[in-house]
Amino acid sequence: MRNLVRFLKRYSHIFLFIFLEGIAIYIISQNSFYQASAITSFANQIAGKVNARTYNITKYFTYGSSNEALVKENAKLRAMIETSYVKYQHKAFQYNDTIYKQQFEYIDAKVIQKTISKRNNYFMLNKGRLHGVTNNMGVISPSGIVGVIVNVSDNFSLVMSVLHQDSRPNIKNQRTKISGTLVWEGGDYTSGKLVDIPSSIPLKIGDTIITSGFSQDFPEGIMVGKIKKFDKDKGTGFYVVDIKFAVDYNKLEYVYIVKNFFKEEQIQLTKDIKNE
Amino acid sequence: MNKDILLGFLHFVLIAAFQVFILNGLNIFGYFNPMIYVWFILMLPTNTPKWLGLILAFLMGFTIDIFAGQVGFHAAALTLIALIRPLFITIFFSGKDIETNLRPSIAEMSLSTYLPYITSLVFIHHFTYFTIEIFNFSEFFLTLLRIICSTIITTLLILLCDYLFIHKRKI
Repeated sequence: MRNLVRFLKRYSHIFLFIFLEGIAIYIISQNSFYQASAITSFANQIAGKVNARTYNITKYFTYGSSNEALVKENAKLRAMIETSYVKYQHKAFQYNDTIYKQQFEYIDAKVIQKTISKRNNYFMLNKGRLHGVTNNMGVISPSGIVGVIVNVSDNFSLVMSVLHQDSRPNIKNQRTKISGTLVWEGGDYTSGKLVDIPSSIPLKIGDTIITSGFSQDFPEGIMVGKIKKFDKDKGTGFYVVDIKFAVDYNKLEYVYIVKNFFKEEQIQLTKDIKNE
Repeated sequence: MNKDILLGFLHFVLIAAFQVFILNGLNIFGYFNPMIYVWFILMLPTNTPKWLGLILAFLMGFTIDIFAGQVGFHAAALTLIALIRPLFITIFFSGKDIETNLRPSIAEMSLSTYLPYITSLVFIHHFTYFTIEIFNFSEFFLTLLRIICSTIITTLLILLCDYLFIHKRKI
Protein backbone atom coordinates (compact mmCIF):
# COMPACT_ATOMS: atom_id res chain seq x y z
CA MET A 1 0.00 0.00 0.00
CA ARG A 2 2.82 2.38 0.93
CA ASN A 3 4.56 1.48 -2.30
CA LEU A 4 1.43 2.32 -4.22
CA VAL A 5 1.19 5.75 -2.57
CA ARG A 6 4.85 6.39 -3.28
CA PHE A 7 4.35 5.33 -6.88
CA LEU A 8 1.37 7.65 -7.31
CA LYS A 9 3.26 10.53 -5.69
CA ARG A 10 6.33 10.06 -7.83
CA TYR A 11 4.44 9.93 -11.10
CA SER A 12 1.64 12.35 -10.24
CA HIS A 13 2.76 14.75 -12.96
CA ILE A 14 2.43 12.00 -15.56
CA PHE A 15 -1.21 11.54 -14.58
CA LEU A 16 -1.74 15.28 -14.78
CA PHE A 17 -0.17 15.23 -18.23
CA ILE A 18 -2.44 12.41 -19.38
CA PHE A 19 -5.44 14.25 -17.98
CA LEU A 20 -4.61 17.57 -19.70
CA GLU A 21 -3.66 15.89 -22.97
CA GLY A 22 -6.89 13.91 -22.73
CA ILE A 23 -8.87 17.13 -22.52
CA ALA A 24 -7.05 18.57 -25.53
CA ILE A 25 -7.51 15.44 -27.62
CA TYR A 26 -11.14 15.13 -26.59
CA ILE A 27 -11.77 18.68 -27.76
CA ILE A 28 -9.97 18.06 -31.04
CA SER A 29 -11.83 14.81 -31.70
CA GLN A 30 -15.16 16.42 -30.90
CA ASN A 31 -14.43 19.02 -33.55
CA SER A 32 -12.20 17.11 -35.91
CA PHE A 33 -14.09 17.90 -39.10
CA TYR A 34 -15.14 21.45 -38.61
CA GLN A 35 -12.51 21.98 -35.88
CA ALA A 36 -14.54 24.63 -34.19
CA SER A 37 -17.97 23.86 -32.91
CA ALA A 38 -19.50 23.43 -29.46
CA ILE A 39 -16.79 25.01 -27.36
CA THR A 40 -15.70 27.58 -29.92
CA SER A 41 -19.19 28.91 -30.45
CA PHE A 42 -18.81 30.33 -26.98
CA ALA A 43 -15.13 31.17 -27.36
CA ASN A 44 -15.83 32.76 -30.75
CA GLN A 45 -18.10 35.26 -29.07
CA ILE A 46 -15.19 36.49 -26.96
CA ALA A 47 -12.46 36.10 -29.55
CA GLY A 48 -14.77 37.63 -32.15
CA LYS A 49 -15.24 40.72 -30.05
CA VAL A 50 -11.50 41.13 -29.52
CA ASN A 51 -10.85 40.52 -33.21
CA ALA A 52 -13.54 43.03 -34.18
CA ARG A 53 -11.73 45.61 -32.04
CA THR A 54 -8.39 44.81 -33.68
CA TYR A 55 -10.06 44.95 -37.07
CA ASN A 56 -11.40 48.41 -36.27
CA ILE A 57 -7.83 49.59 -35.82
CA THR A 58 -6.22 47.75 -38.73
CA LYS A 59 -8.93 48.50 -41.30
CA TYR A 60 -7.58 52.02 -41.78
CA PHE A 61 -4.46 50.60 -43.36
CA THR A 62 -6.37 48.74 -46.07
CA TYR A 63 -8.96 51.40 -46.95
CA GLY A 64 -7.11 52.28 -50.13
CA SER A 65 -7.29 48.94 -51.86
CA SER A 66 -10.76 47.99 -50.63
CA ASN A 67 -12.17 51.32 -51.83
CA GLU A 68 -10.73 50.60 -55.21
CA ALA A 69 -12.42 47.19 -55.26
CA LEU A 70 -15.75 48.74 -54.21
CA VAL A 71 -15.54 51.40 -56.88
CA LYS A 72 -14.89 48.73 -59.50
CA GLU A 73 -17.85 46.71 -58.31
CA ASN A 74 -20.07 49.79 -58.31
CA ALA A 75 -19.07 50.47 -61.86
CA LYS A 76 -19.90 46.92 -62.85
CA LEU A 77 -23.30 47.06 -61.15
CA ARG A 78 -24.06 50.45 -62.65
CA ALA A 79 -23.47 48.94 -66.05
CA MET A 80 -26.17 46.39 -65.33
CA ILE A 81 -29.04 48.65 -64.24
CA GLU A 82 -31.94 49.44 -66.48
CA THR A 83 -30.75 52.91 -67.48
CA SER A 84 -27.56 51.46 -68.89
CA TYR A 85 -29.49 49.60 -71.56
CA VAL A 86 -31.15 50.89 -74.65
CA LYS A 87 -34.57 49.40 -75.23
CA TYR A 88 -34.80 48.10 -78.76
CA GLN A 89 -38.05 46.29 -78.22
CA HIS A 90 -40.37 47.18 -75.38
CA LYS A 91 -41.68 43.69 -74.92
CA ALA A 92 -38.21 42.30 -74.15
CA PHE A 93 -38.11 43.68 -70.62
CA GLN A 94 -40.66 42.43 -68.15
CA TYR A 95 -40.68 43.20 -64.46
CA ASN A 96 -42.74 41.50 -61.77
CA ASP A 97 -43.00 38.56 -64.07
CA THR A 98 -44.06 35.03 -63.26
CA ILE A 99 -41.41 33.36 -65.39
CA TYR A 100 -38.43 34.18 -63.21
CA LYS A 101 -38.29 33.43 -59.54
CA GLN A 102 -35.43 34.67 -57.40
CA GLN A 103 -33.15 31.82 -56.38
CA PHE A 104 -30.20 33.50 -54.70
CA GLU A 105 -30.00 36.26 -52.11
CA TYR A 106 -26.80 37.83 -50.80
CA ILE A 107 -25.93 38.90 -47.27
CA ASP A 108 -22.97 41.26 -47.08
CA ALA A 109 -20.33 40.67 -44.38
CA LYS A 110 -16.87 41.74 -43.33
CA VAL A 111 -13.92 39.43 -42.68
CA ILE A 112 -12.71 40.09 -39.15
CA GLN A 113 -10.17 37.31 -38.80
CA LYS A 114 -8.38 35.14 -41.30
CA THR A 115 -5.56 32.67 -41.74
CA ILE A 116 -3.94 31.88 -45.07
CA SER A 117 -0.65 30.34 -44.04
CA LYS A 118 -1.90 27.09 -42.47
CA ARG A 119 -2.72 23.84 -44.26
CA ASN A 120 -6.40 24.40 -43.41
CA ASN A 121 -7.54 28.00 -43.43
CA TYR A 122 -10.64 29.69 -42.03
CA PHE A 123 -12.14 33.16 -42.17
CA MET A 124 -14.37 34.67 -39.49
CA LEU A 125 -17.21 36.95 -40.60
CA ASN A 126 -19.11 39.57 -38.59
CA LYS A 127 -22.57 38.18 -39.50
CA GLY A 128 -24.17 35.28 -37.64
CA ARG A 129 -27.37 33.42 -36.87
CA LEU A 130 -29.18 36.67 -36.03
CA HIS A 131 -28.57 37.91 -39.58
CA GLY A 132 -29.91 34.73 -41.15
CA VAL A 133 -26.65 32.88 -41.74
CA THR A 134 -26.74 29.07 -41.45
CA ASN A 135 -24.23 26.27 -42.00
CA ASN A 136 -23.24 25.22 -45.54
CA MET A 137 -24.00 28.56 -47.18
CA GLY A 138 -21.53 29.58 -49.87
CA VAL A 139 -19.38 32.70 -49.51
CA ILE A 140 -18.16 34.80 -52.43
CA SER A 141 -16.29 38.07 -52.77
CA PRO A 142 -16.65 40.73 -55.48
CA SER A 143 -13.82 39.09 -57.40
CA GLY A 144 -14.60 35.40 -56.89
CA ILE A 145 -15.20 32.30 -54.81
CA VAL A 146 -14.22 32.27 -51.10
CA GLY A 147 -15.59 29.23 -49.22
CA VAL A 148 -18.43 27.65 -47.28
CA ILE A 149 -19.87 28.49 -43.81
CA VAL A 150 -19.09 25.69 -41.35
CA ASN A 151 -19.97 27.16 -37.97
CA VAL A 152 -22.34 29.91 -36.84
CA SER A 153 -22.71 31.71 -33.52
CA ASP A 154 -25.23 34.48 -32.80
CA ASN A 155 -23.13 37.30 -34.21
CA PHE A 156 -20.27 35.63 -36.03
CA SER A 157 -19.71 32.83 -38.52
CA LEU A 158 -16.72 30.75 -39.58
CA VAL A 159 -15.91 30.09 -43.25
CA MET A 160 -13.96 27.06 -44.44
CA SER A 161 -12.04 28.75 -47.26
CA VAL A 162 -11.07 27.06 -50.53
CA LEU A 163 -7.60 26.95 -48.94
CA HIS A 164 -8.58 23.80 -47.00
CA GLN A 165 -8.05 20.08 -47.55
CA ASP A 166 -11.78 19.31 -47.19
CA SER A 167 -12.87 22.03 -49.61
CA ARG A 168 -13.79 20.56 -53.02
CA PRO A 169 -16.05 22.96 -54.93
CA ASN A 170 -17.29 21.94 -58.36
CA ILE A 171 -16.00 24.15 -61.19
CA LYS A 172 -16.08 24.36 -64.97
CA ASN A 173 -14.12 25.83 -67.82
CA GLN A 174 -16.00 28.83 -69.18
CA ARG A 175 -14.95 28.14 -72.78
CA THR A 176 -15.34 24.35 -73.04
CA LYS A 177 -18.00 23.85 -70.30
CA ILE A 178 -16.11 20.79 -69.04
CA SER A 179 -16.43 20.49 -65.26
CA GLY A 180 -14.00 19.35 -62.58
CA THR A 181 -13.08 19.82 -58.95
CA LEU A 182 -10.96 22.50 -57.28
CA VAL A 183 -8.52 21.36 -54.58
CA TRP A 184 -5.74 23.11 -52.67
CA GLU A 185 -2.56 21.31 -51.67
CA GLY A 186 -1.13 23.82 -49.22
CA GLY A 187 1.72 26.27 -49.51
CA ASP A 188 1.08 29.09 -51.97
CA TYR A 189 -2.25 30.82 -51.29
CA THR A 190 -2.40 32.37 -54.75
CA SER A 191 -2.69 29.12 -56.71
CA GLY A 192 -4.80 25.96 -56.61
CA LYS A 193 -5.21 22.72 -58.56
CA LEU A 194 -7.99 21.28 -60.69
CA VAL A 195 -8.62 17.54 -60.82
CA ASP A 196 -11.09 15.26 -62.64
CA ILE A 197 -10.81 17.15 -65.95
CA PRO A 198 -10.63 14.59 -68.80
CA SER A 199 -7.57 15.04 -71.02
CA SER A 200 -9.50 14.35 -74.24
CA ILE A 201 -10.60 17.97 -74.59
CA PRO A 202 -7.79 20.47 -75.22
CA LEU A 203 -7.18 23.28 -72.72
CA LYS A 204 -5.50 26.66 -73.19
CA ILE A 205 -3.35 28.62 -70.80
CA GLY A 206 -5.39 31.58 -69.60
CA ASP A 207 -8.78 29.80 -69.79
CA THR A 208 -11.24 31.21 -67.26
CA ILE A 209 -12.49 28.83 -64.55
CA ILE A 210 -15.91 29.54 -63.00
CA THR A 211 -18.22 27.73 -60.57
CA SER A 212 -20.40 25.13 -62.25
CA GLY A 213 -23.60 25.69 -60.28
CA PHE A 214 -23.93 21.93 -59.75
CA SER A 215 -23.62 22.23 -55.98
CA GLN A 216 -26.33 24.04 -54.05
CA ASP A 217 -23.87 26.40 -52.37
CA PHE A 218 -22.81 28.65 -55.23
CA PRO A 219 -24.64 30.19 -58.17
CA GLU A 220 -23.26 29.41 -61.60
CA GLY A 221 -20.52 31.60 -63.05
CA ILE A 222 -18.67 32.87 -59.98
CA MET A 223 -15.01 33.51 -60.90
CA VAL A 224 -12.49 31.00 -59.54
CA GLY A 225 -9.33 31.77 -61.46
CA LYS A 226 -7.30 31.38 -64.65
CA ILE A 227 -5.30 28.40 -65.91
CA LYS A 228 -1.59 28.93 -65.30
CA LYS A 229 -0.14 25.57 -66.33
CA PHE A 230 -1.42 22.10 -67.26
CA ASP A 231 -0.03 18.60 -67.80
CA LYS A 232 -1.53 15.34 -68.96
CA ASP A 233 -1.42 12.64 -66.32
CA LYS A 234 -0.61 9.62 -68.49
CA GLY A 235 -1.88 6.99 -66.09
CA THR A 236 -5.39 8.28 -65.51
CA GLY A 237 -6.43 10.19 -68.62
CA PHE A 238 -7.05 13.34 -66.61
CA TYR A 239 -5.34 16.70 -66.65
CA VAL A 240 -3.34 18.09 -63.73
CA VAL A 241 -4.06 21.81 -63.92
CA ASP A 242 -2.56 24.69 -61.93
CA ILE A 243 -4.68 27.81 -61.68
CA LYS A 244 -4.13 31.28 -60.31
CA PHE A 245 -6.97 32.32 -57.98
CA ALA A 246 -8.98 35.37 -59.00
CA VAL A 247 -9.21 36.47 -55.36
CA ASP A 248 -6.27 37.71 -53.32
CA TYR A 249 -7.17 35.93 -50.06
CA ASN A 250 -4.59 37.90 -48.13
CA LYS A 251 -6.43 41.16 -48.85
CA LEU A 252 -9.95 39.76 -48.51
CA GLU A 253 -12.20 42.14 -46.57
CA TYR A 254 -15.79 42.43 -47.86
CA VAL A 255 -17.67 39.26 -48.82
CA TYR A 256 -21.21 38.13 -49.67
CA ILE A 257 -22.90 35.10 -48.10
CA VAL A 258 -25.06 33.27 -50.65
CA LYS A 259 -28.54 32.20 -49.63
CA ASN A 260 -30.17 29.65 -51.95
CA PHE A 261 -33.97 29.63 -51.68
CA PHE A 262 -34.30 26.26 -53.41
CA LYS A 263 -31.59 24.45 -51.47
CA GLU A 264 -33.91 22.41 -49.23
CA GLU A 265 -35.87 21.32 -52.26
CA GLN A 266 -32.73 20.28 -54.16
CA ILE A 267 -31.35 18.31 -51.21
CA GLN A 268 -34.71 16.64 -50.60
CA LEU A 269 -34.77 15.47 -54.20
CA THR A 270 -31.45 13.63 -53.84
CA LYS A 271 -32.48 12.24 -50.48
CA ASP A 272 -35.67 10.75 -51.93
CA ILE A 273 -33.65 8.63 -54.35
CA LYS A 274 -31.32 7.37 -51.63
CA ASN A 275 -34.21 6.32 -49.43
CA GLU A 276 -35.70 4.07 -52.05
CA MET B 1 8.98 34.35 -5.02
CA ASN B 2 6.26 36.96 -5.56
CA LYS B 3 8.48 38.64 -8.09
CA ASP B 4 8.74 35.37 -10.02
CA ILE B 5 4.95 35.01 -10.17
CA LEU B 6 4.50 38.60 -11.31
CA LEU B 7 7.22 38.22 -13.93
CA GLY B 8 5.70 34.95 -15.12
CA PHE B 9 2.28 36.56 -15.49
CA LEU B 10 3.77 39.46 -17.41
CA HIS B 11 5.61 37.08 -19.75
CA PHE B 12 2.40 35.11 -20.30
CA VAL B 13 0.39 38.17 -21.35
CA LEU B 14 3.11 39.75 -23.48
CA ILE B 15 4.07 36.57 -25.33
CA ALA B 16 0.43 35.55 -25.92
CA ALA B 17 -0.40 39.05 -27.22
CA PHE B 18 2.65 39.07 -29.51
CA GLN B 19 1.67 35.67 -30.90
CA VAL B 20 -2.04 36.42 -31.33
CA PHE B 21 -1.96 39.95 -32.67
CA ILE B 22 1.23 39.99 -34.70
CA LEU B 23 2.60 36.55 -35.56
CA ASN B 24 -0.76 34.89 -36.32
CA GLY B 25 -1.40 37.50 -39.00
CA LEU B 26 1.98 36.93 -40.57
CA ASN B 27 2.50 34.80 -43.65
CA ILE B 28 5.96 34.22 -45.07
CA PHE B 29 5.86 32.10 -48.27
CA GLY B 30 3.18 29.87 -46.71
CA TYR B 31 5.71 27.63 -45.00
CA PHE B 32 7.09 29.76 -42.16
CA ASN B 33 4.71 29.86 -39.19
CA PRO B 34 6.53 31.39 -36.22
CA MET B 35 5.15 30.14 -32.88
CA ILE B 36 7.01 32.09 -30.23
CA TYR B 37 4.63 31.11 -27.42
CA VAL B 38 6.74 27.95 -26.90
CA TRP B 39 9.35 30.26 -25.42
CA PHE B 40 7.13 30.87 -22.40
CA ILE B 41 7.57 27.24 -21.31
CA LEU B 42 11.24 27.07 -22.33
CA MET B 43 12.13 30.08 -20.14
CA LEU B 44 10.50 28.84 -16.90
CA PRO B 45 13.01 28.41 -14.03
CA THR B 46 14.67 24.99 -14.06
CA ASN B 47 13.16 23.84 -10.76
CA THR B 48 9.56 24.83 -11.53
CA PRO B 49 7.29 22.06 -10.17
CA LYS B 50 6.32 19.67 -12.95
CA TRP B 51 2.59 19.99 -12.33
CA LEU B 52 2.81 23.79 -12.52
CA GLY B 53 4.69 23.60 -15.82
CA LEU B 54 2.03 21.30 -17.27
CA ILE B 55 -0.87 23.51 -16.19
CA LEU B 56 0.81 26.69 -17.44
CA ALA B 57 1.52 25.00 -20.78
CA PHE B 58 -2.08 23.91 -21.14
CA LEU B 59 -3.38 27.39 -20.30
CA MET B 60 -0.99 29.06 -22.73
CA GLY B 61 -1.82 26.62 -25.52
CA PHE B 62 -5.53 26.99 -24.92
CA THR B 63 -5.31 30.79 -25.00
CA ILE B 64 -3.57 30.68 -28.37
CA ASP B 65 -6.13 28.12 -29.61
CA ILE B 66 -9.09 30.32 -28.79
CA PHE B 67 -7.72 33.36 -30.55
CA ALA B 68 -6.55 31.37 -33.55
CA GLY B 69 -10.09 29.99 -33.95
CA GLN B 70 -8.90 26.41 -33.56
CA VAL B 71 -9.29 24.09 -30.62
CA GLY B 72 -6.84 21.92 -28.71
CA PHE B 73 -3.95 21.75 -31.20
CA HIS B 74 -1.64 24.25 -29.53
CA ALA B 75 -2.65 23.03 -26.07
CA ALA B 76 -1.87 19.38 -26.89
CA ALA B 77 1.52 20.17 -28.40
CA LEU B 78 2.65 22.57 -25.68
CA THR B 79 1.61 20.27 -22.82
CA LEU B 80 3.84 17.59 -24.32
CA ILE B 81 6.75 20.05 -24.31
CA ALA B 82 6.18 20.83 -20.62
CA LEU B 83 6.31 17.08 -19.87
CA ILE B 84 9.60 16.38 -21.65
CA ARG B 85 11.36 19.65 -20.76
CA PRO B 86 12.83 18.38 -17.43
CA LEU B 87 14.43 15.49 -19.34
CA PHE B 88 16.05 17.87 -21.84
CA ILE B 89 17.27 20.09 -19.02
CA THR B 90 19.15 17.16 -17.47
CA ILE B 91 20.59 16.25 -20.87
CA PHE B 92 21.82 19.69 -21.94
CA PHE B 93 22.52 21.65 -18.74
CA SER B 94 25.28 21.14 -16.18
CA GLY B 95 24.42 20.07 -12.63
CA LYS B 96 25.27 23.49 -11.24
CA ASP B 97 22.79 25.23 -13.53
CA ILE B 98 19.99 22.94 -12.43
CA GLU B 99 20.62 23.46 -8.72
CA THR B 100 20.76 27.26 -8.85
CA ASN B 101 17.24 27.54 -10.28
CA LEU B 102 18.11 29.71 -13.24
CA ARG B 103 15.88 30.84 -16.07
CA PRO B 104 17.28 29.39 -19.29
CA SER B 105 18.35 32.37 -21.41
CA ILE B 106 21.29 33.48 -23.49
CA ALA B 107 22.45 35.83 -20.72
CA GLU B 108 22.83 32.97 -18.23
CA MET B 109 24.61 30.36 -20.33
CA SER B 110 26.67 29.85 -23.46
CA LEU B 111 25.09 29.64 -26.88
CA SER B 112 26.41 26.10 -27.33
CA THR B 113 24.26 24.96 -24.38
CA TYR B 114 21.25 27.14 -25.07
CA LEU B 115 20.83 26.63 -28.82
CA PRO B 116 20.52 22.80 -28.82
CA TYR B 117 18.06 23.06 -25.91
CA ILE B 118 15.63 25.42 -27.65
CA THR B 119 16.09 23.98 -31.15
CA SER B 120 15.30 20.42 -30.09
CA LEU B 121 12.26 21.35 -28.02
CA VAL B 122 10.92 23.76 -30.66
CA PHE B 123 11.36 21.05 -33.30
CA ILE B 124 9.46 18.48 -31.20
CA HIS B 125 6.70 21.02 -30.57
CA HIS B 126 6.32 21.93 -34.26
CA PHE B 127 6.46 18.28 -35.28
CA THR B 128 3.63 17.43 -32.86
CA TYR B 129 1.59 20.49 -33.78
CA PHE B 130 1.73 20.06 -37.55
CA THR B 131 1.20 16.31 -37.33
CA ILE B 132 -1.99 16.81 -35.32
CA GLU B 133 -3.17 19.78 -37.38
CA ILE B 134 -2.73 18.20 -40.80
CA PHE B 135 -3.40 14.62 -39.70
CA ASN B 136 -2.59 13.22 -43.09
CA PHE B 137 0.55 11.34 -44.06
CA SER B 138 -0.01 11.62 -47.79
CA GLU B 139 1.70 15.01 -47.82
CA PHE B 140 4.51 13.91 -45.52
CA PHE B 141 7.38 15.78 -47.20
CA LEU B 142 5.45 19.03 -47.54
CA THR B 143 4.60 18.76 -43.85
CA LEU B 144 8.24 18.08 -43.01
CA LEU B 145 9.34 21.12 -45.01
CA ARG B 146 6.76 23.19 -43.14
CA ILE B 147 8.04 21.85 -39.79
CA ILE B 148 11.69 22.58 -40.60
CA CYS B 149 11.05 26.08 -41.97
CA SER B 150 8.91 26.97 -38.97
CA THR B 151 11.45 25.55 -36.51
CA ILE B 152 14.16 27.75 -38.02
CA ILE B 153 12.08 30.93 -37.89
CA THR B 154 10.79 30.27 -34.35
CA THR B 155 14.30 29.53 -33.03
CA LEU B 156 15.71 32.69 -34.61
CA LEU B 157 12.84 34.74 -33.19
CA ILE B 158 13.36 33.32 -29.69
CA LEU B 159 17.10 34.06 -29.83
CA LEU B 160 16.40 37.61 -31.00
CA CYS B 161 13.80 38.34 -28.30
CA ASP B 162 16.01 36.72 -25.70
CA TYR B 163 18.95 38.91 -26.74
CA LEU B 164 16.84 42.06 -26.71
CA PHE B 165 14.68 41.67 -23.60
CA ILE B 166 16.21 39.23 -21.09
CA HIS B 167 19.11 40.46 -18.97
CA LYS B 168 21.32 38.68 -16.50
CA ARG B 169 19.86 38.51 -13.02
CA LYS B 170 21.77 40.40 -10.36
CA ILE B 171 22.40 38.30 -7.30
